[in-house]
Amino acid sequence: MATSNSGDKGTRNLVIIMVGFIVTVGVVFSIISNRASSNFEIPAAVSPTDGYGIVLNPTATPKIDVYVDYQCPACRAFELMNGGYLNEVIVQNKAKVVFHPMTFIGPESILAANAAACSADENRFVDMNLALFQNQPAGENTGKWGNETLIALGNSVGITSEKFKQCVNDGKYVKWTRNITVESGKRNVNSTPTILINGKPLDRNTEYGDPAKFRAALEAAGIK
Amino acid sequence: MRDKFVLVQPWLTLLARLILGGVLIVAGALKVGNLQKSAMAVRAYEMLPIWLANLFGYVLPWIEIGIGSLLVVGALVKINGLLGALIMLAFIIAIAQAWARGLSIDCGCFGGGGSIDPEDTKYLSEIIRDIGLLGLGVFLYFYPKGRFALDK
Repeated sequence: MATSNSGDKGTRNLVIIMVGFIVTVGVVFSIISNRASSNFEIPAAVSPTDGYGIVLNPTATPKIDVYVDYQCPACRAFELMNGGYLNEVIVQNKAKVVFHPMTFIGPESILAANAAACSADENRFVDMNLALFQNQPAGENTGKWGNETLIALGNSVGITSEKFKQCVNDGKYVKWTRNITVESGKRNVNSTPTILINGKPLDRNTEYGDPAKFRAALEAAGIK
Repeated sequence: MRDKFVLVQPWLTLLARLILGGVLIVAGALKVGNLQKSAMAVRAYEMLPIWLANLFGYVLPWIEIGIGSLLVVGALVKINGLLGALIMLAFIIAIAQAWARGLSIDCGCFGGGGSIDPEDTKYLSEIIRDIGLLGLGVFLYFYPKGRFALDK
């Protein structure tokens, strides 16, 4: 095609170098921006040894781990079906329950997880958790969940403090969600909802979608 | 017959570059936007130690974009064709072992990924597609010289 061979070679090498550069920068940036750190601001209820999850009833046994993404429809279904009973268990201090709000569905999951963490500082996590699922937008990252909506949602469950508002607006716990990501990765949680009772996952085929079986599974762990 | 191939081959090479390169760019670009999900997809294959699976999840989309871009512009076609073929071979092995072990996962090839319902798996079509792309990569390795390429 072209006649000036040396010029072509120069262009070719330049393109190769550019592509290599973009790939390298991308890789480095991706790894750095997803790294966890113990220096990130964490809610008071968070325990680093429990996968940086939000811990309710820290001294109770058994331990129930709940991995959700606030934008995941299956998590919404689970919460609406079994959340009521789980909240009873929490209120009656019958189990240590650790919530891990994951954020793999995208930016609005991060905003929601941040707002949930802010609500934990107001001791209203359970209510906020339920409210988030009840008001889950149809579709992912639709733009419906912004900080203002999330603050209003907090207000609706009785969180009215200026501190909460600021916490949501500042994205105070946004970086903390990276710790959740890394820790849930370490525990090989690859879908949501995932519920572990004393570290053992519930049976995905039966125990999530059936309130009686969910109760039975908790009962088997000693929750009466 | 032979003459005809000599005539057509540079165009076939161009076509193979555009298809394999295009698919790789799209696959990478869809994943770069959500690397958490990408890492989760790799973990769900349960082949690699978790730290390595996570690293793959973060790195692979960029590699796909890199190889794809170089194929489309036609730079280092021989090497990138081979790399593309090797990536496809790795995907085929990964999907086949997930299938054989009875895991229920989405391949996560174009974003998405992770555990899904058993009836939603589509391992066979994923493998057939990747075998086709593997074939294109092998072709490019043996016939790297084509039309509209930066390589001379």
